[in-house]
Amino acid sequence: MAFTLRSVKVPPNSASLEEARGRVFDFFRKACRSIPTIMDIYNLDDIVTKSELRSIIASEIRKNTHVTNPKVIDLLLFKGMEELNNIVEHAKQRHHIIGQYVLGRQGLAQDTKDEGTSDFLKNFYKSNYF
Amino acid sequence: MALRAAVLRHIRLPVQTLPAIGTRPQSQRSFLRLFSSHDDHLTKEEVIDRVLDVIKSFPKVDPSKVTPDVHFQKDLGLDSLDNVEIVMALEEEFKLEIPDKEADKIDSCNLAIVYIYNHPMAG
Repeated sequence: MAFTLRSVKVPPNSASLEEARGRVFDFFRKACRSIPTIMDIYNLDDIVTKSELRSIIASEIRKNTHVTNPKVIDLLLFKGMEELNNIVEHAKQRHHIIGQYVLGRQGLAQDTKDEGTSDFLKNFYKSNYF
Repeated sequence: MALRAAVLRHIRLPVQTLPAIGTRPQSQRSFLRLFSSHDDHLTKEEVIDRVLDVIKSFPKVDPSKVTPDVHFQKDLGLDSLDNVEIVMALEEEFKLEIPDKEADKIDSCNLAIVYIYNHPMAG
């Protein structure tokens, strides 16, 4: 029901980069406007603030700034919309949100699992060749 | 029955005659309530202060560069997505919902202050 509400419009088919950029901003605004709902559903008030979530969404969008093909941008927006719908209709759970979106940003102190280990161990966990 | 009358006599309150209304102009005014909401607009200083606070607390912004007439992209070095993010942060702070067409025009601190000050629902 929430999914159909959000995707009832014609699937995006941008003609130009400008139109795709407009759609990206629309998606960003939609996501930001549903942040209060998300914080309420998953009880994230103790973990993040609304402005942190906004920055997290912005950084996720920024990961794809190198894309220039409007059709690829449309596809990425479709996947983003699908993810947003899943989150808003409570199809995900709290640990999904925390693990995928809150933790691991720029190696913040939130990742306390490997804090005391040595550099050797950190490299070892990452790959075989270092 | 007599017990009841005795109890009631103890708890019955004495009757007080209220003073004439004309002699107390203060109470007269307190009964007069203005039901218009025209007096709870935000003052311009308050709007400016709150807008500057929102912009200063944006993580990518250097707080020392923020003045009431900075341009987000030219002076603060942000990009268009940051612009949209700042507008959304202002929407949250002032409990507004800014339509997309207007939001696209808000490019600088000046325009944001003017828009919010002129918005009837800014809270």
